[in-house]
Amino acid sequence: MPRHHIARPALTQRQAAAILLLPFLTVYAVFLVYPFFKGIWISLHDWNLMAVAFNPDAKTFVGLQNYERVMWGRNITWGAWSSPGLQMLGLIGLGAGFLLYRTGRAGKVTALAILIASLLLFVLPGFHPGEGGRWYDRRFWPTVGNTIVFVGLAVPGVTITAMLLAAALDGETRAKAVLRTLFFLSQVLSVTVVTLIWQIMFSPRQGLIANLTELFGGSPIVWLTAEGFAMAAIVIATIWWSLGIAMILFLAGIQDISKDLYEAGALDNATGAKAFWYITLPNLKRTITVVVVLQIILHFQVFGQAHLMTSGGPNDSTQVLVRYIYQTAFRDSELGRASAMAVFLFVIMGGFSILQFVLGREKDQ
Amino acid sequence: MNRSYYWLILALSVPAFIWLVPTIWMVSLSFQPNDVLARTTSSTALGLIPIPFTPENYIALFRFGQVPMWFLNSLIVSVGMTVAVLAVSTTAGYALARLDFPLKGPVIVLCLMGLMVPEQAVFIPLYTMFADWGWHNSHHALILPRVAVPIGVFLMMQFFKAIPKDIEEAARIDGVGWLQIFWYVMLPLARPAMMTLAILTFLYAWNDYLWPLVSAQQREFFTITLGLASIQSNFAQAEGLGRVMASGVVASLPVVVLFLIFQRYVVRAMTAGGTKG
Amino acid sequence: MKHMILGASALAVLATGAVAQEVTLGRFFGDCENAGTDTKVTVGEACIIQSIINAADAQLDGISVSTLPTDWGNYYDQIKATYAGGTPPNVHVMHRHRVPEFASIGALADLTDDLAAAGIDPSDWEAAALEAVTYNDRIVGVPMDFHANLWHVNMDLMEAAGLVENGAPVLPSSPEELLEHARAVKQTTGQDYLAADFAQFPIGVRVALALIWQQGSNIFEGDTATIDTPEARNAISAITQLFDAGLANAQLNYADSQQAFLNGEAAILVNGTWVVDFYSAEAAKDDQGLNRYFAADFPTLFDEGATWADSHMWAIPAPLKANDADTYAAALQVLAFINDHNIDWARTGHMAVRSSVLASAEYAALPHRDEYTGTADIARDTPPSVRYGAIQDVLNRELQAIWLTGKSVDAALADAEADVQDLLDR
Repeated sequence: MPRHHIARPALTQRQAAAILLLPFLTVYAVFLVYPFFKGIWISLHDWNLMAVAFNPDAKTFVGLQNYERVMWGRNITWGAWSSPGLQMLGLIGLGAGFLLYRTGRAGKVTALAILIASLLLFVLPGFHPGEGGRWYDRRFWPTVGNTIVFVGLAVPGVTITAMLLAAALDGETRAKAVLRTLFFLSQVLSVTVVTLIWQIMFSPRQGLIANLTELFGGSPIVWLTAEGFAMAAIVIATIWWSLGIAMILFLAGIQDISKDLYEAGALDNATGAKAFWYITLPNLKRTITVVVVLQIILHFQVFGQAHLMTSGGPNDSTQVLVRYIYQTAFRDSELGRASAMAVFLFVIMGGFSILQFVLGREKDQ
Repeated sequence: MNRSYYWLILALSVPAFIWLVPTIWMVSLSFQPNDVLARTTSSTALGLIPIPFTPENYIALFRFGQVPMWFLNSLIVSVGMTVAVLAVSTTAGYALARLDFPLKGPVIVLCLMGLMVPEQAVFIPLYTMFADWGWHNSHHALILPRVAVPIGVFLMMQFFKAIPKDIEEAARIDGVGWLQIFWYVMLPLARPAMMTLAILTFLYAWNDYLWPLVSAQQREFFTITLGLASIQSNFAQAEGLGRVMASGVVASLPVVVLFLIFQRYVVRAMTAGGTKG
Repeated sequence: MKHMILGASALAVLATGAVAQEVTLGRFFGDCENAGTDTKVTVGEACIIQSIINAADAQLDGISVSTLPTDWGNYYDQIKATYAGGTPPNVHVMHRHRVPEFASIGALADLTDDLAAAGIDPSDWEAAALEAVTYNDRIVGVPMDFHANLWHVNMDLMEAAGLVENGAPVLPSSPEELLEHARAVKQTTGQDYLAADFAQFPIGVRVALALIWQQGSNIFEGDTATIDTPEARNAISAITQLFDAGLANAQLNYADSQQAFLNGEAAILVNGTWVVDFYSAEAAKDDQGLNRYFAADFPTLFDEGATWADSHMWAIPAPLKANDADTYAAALQVLAFINDHNIDWARTGHMAVRSSVLASAEYAALPHRDEYTGTADIARDTPPSVRYGAIQDVLNRELQAIWLTGKSVDAALADAEADVQDLLDR
């Protein structure tokens, strides 16, 4: 039945949705979903980068062997006290989780998350090589540990600093605007400029920090090659670099808080630090979640700082997961092993994402 | 404006200055002669003031360096990626937030799951795919992988969800089509969110190091980020410290200037987003 | 009329040798953008090699060479990535130690039958150089140098410590003497005896390796790692005794250790042949720090002489030979040009690979050349392996762990042996 509209017939909601979704879903399917499954496929093969390039058949299916070679070992046993510190922490976490849930201090999901994290903390460090045993890849788990330490230092560092600065710098005055700009400035620098600056800053011979210590008669710290300091140096450079976006997100969040709340608070004598604690902080929960998620995702993928400033050293103390994946793939040409590690990276990050997503939802309600 | 306000500004100026010191130092070193820097980096005021002074490092950079070409590559890749991300994120974000269609729930979940996949977890298969297609050493190879990351879709979806229903419904009653509503009503409203997304994307593109490192193997396709990495690991042997720092300054200056111009808009966009109700 | 103009310009192109054949060239050595085309005046590896390449670009008819330099740290990662992506440069530099890795999968073109036609005479190469570029009896590259670890000496500091005889430094002949000399330097000058990059690139590893070889041992034989040995312990304690006594600083990286030496803060710097011309140029400058410079052979602290050595060589990717005869021929011309300029490359301080160059008066007249004539005879390296890079990284990590982080020698050697064994087993 012919219709006689002057304009083109209006699209139905479905058609409009299809048109609007198509560009993204295409790119998404080709450049993310497909590679993701291809990565899993590669991880099941003994796949040499160059050999396969010269002869596509030069790969052999090995099942889960790459995973075993990366994550497992010979005669691995489990003990409740093989890593007392971490495992004790896990037990305390388990207890705290139950207690919080019982007393109604934490919601169901939060308590569950704490319990799961604590359980993992209790179980995972318990694995260790038994008599005459050894890890097949001695470097993998320490590398994972280093990455977690980096995230554990950088994320709170960035988040807390950015939040305090945002609270202090919220406002329309010119001076505050200038200060905001100054603190944000380093964010626009590229990772290689940042590492360039901080490599020289930390240099024991040419560095500004060394020049300063010598001025006060101290002997300079050899930051990048001293085991205790290398990770700290990378974290410092990272906080300096990546504070800006977090600060801007917090500023946006603070501006979302109704001014009435502060006026009401002022009547109750809540100004300054008090207002921050009782008004700003509770109302920023959502923003904090967003910032922390973004930061965890960002910093778990740390590569440039470790690659350029310390080359993962000394003694692997700043070797991080992505750098290990990169090295395994492009230095050792072992795409299969590297892909197995990449899948592991995905699992860890997926876990964090789900956890954060769920936590954010719960607080929203 | 009371006394405590001025105390606050004064108290914050100290960390702000410390925050700036590394940058000032880089600029200062870039204006000092290389043979002086080879002996000491703290000639005047711990090296924070460029005395002895020379513009020689910059002259050499522009006469011989590849920095201008790398810079252009970074610009092409960053702008291209930003435009592409905005295009796919606003359209998909709007559809997911405001339109009804079959399987909407699963599609949203599918997209959210993509948030869990870090670029670094797929760069190896992407590398082999692009190698098979002969795509490496091109601008689109540097752009496309990031366009597929659904973080922009997620951000835009959150934003569109927060817009009150009645704006749309009024337009629907007037018989305006969905695409027109998207284009004429929603996009203008979304400007602040798009601005935020654009800045996030641009900075990401500018700073990305791992993917260009594996995909751009020829110097013509180096981004400035990658080029600087190659300069800094060579400087011990060849160029002087001042020259390397000058490269860093040249690489950063245009972005910093862009940001300073842009920033007013960023803040205004944020404020607009904040008072949207 | 139009046709005639076109025809004339076509003729003109033919007369000048047709359109220039572009040859892309991949290399490390660092950047040098104003190298010029005079191969006799440039200083330092980066500028000398670039001047040779520029000269090839200018002087070879119908061939233009475009350089794709890459940074050291990522060179092999990137060159492998280009091979895997199907876009390797037409010629590229590499180390002898990487030949097994590349040649075993057929990545390198077999040049054996094409060298003579290109004007390259393999019979002029030293036997060791020919061996360096040979894989399964086929020649897969053109050698450019031998390079090795030397002891770079600050003669003023050594003289002050009474360690100069007949214009040459007195170097130790045992670990005990090493410690004595180091003490003497510290007491008389207050400076460190020895500096080297023990914290970044594997120069410290190469010192330890040399001392292991000097005892007739090695880090692996065939498929068996042999790192946890008394010889390795001796070698390591010879080095760490200096750190423990405060006579050397383990925490300096490449740039810092070099700076310490140039500033006159260390009597000896262990580094390669590649910096001899640079250090002599620095010593000639009229300022404090290094003034009298001497380049000495790596001393023998144990039974037999040995120092770490390697070779730079140039290779052509196999796909180029298979698919593009014209560019392949042009690439060979570029290699021939580099081979002809072996003497210019030797100005860096590297040892030449061509017998005719080694015998020339020009070579003998190069600065400091007569001071390290023994190095060619004691040059050594670990056995060939497709996993050379990864093995070096293991050694670098574990040795650095000993002197930077205080890991026990027992644990580090056991871990290194296990890791290298893993690599050999893969």
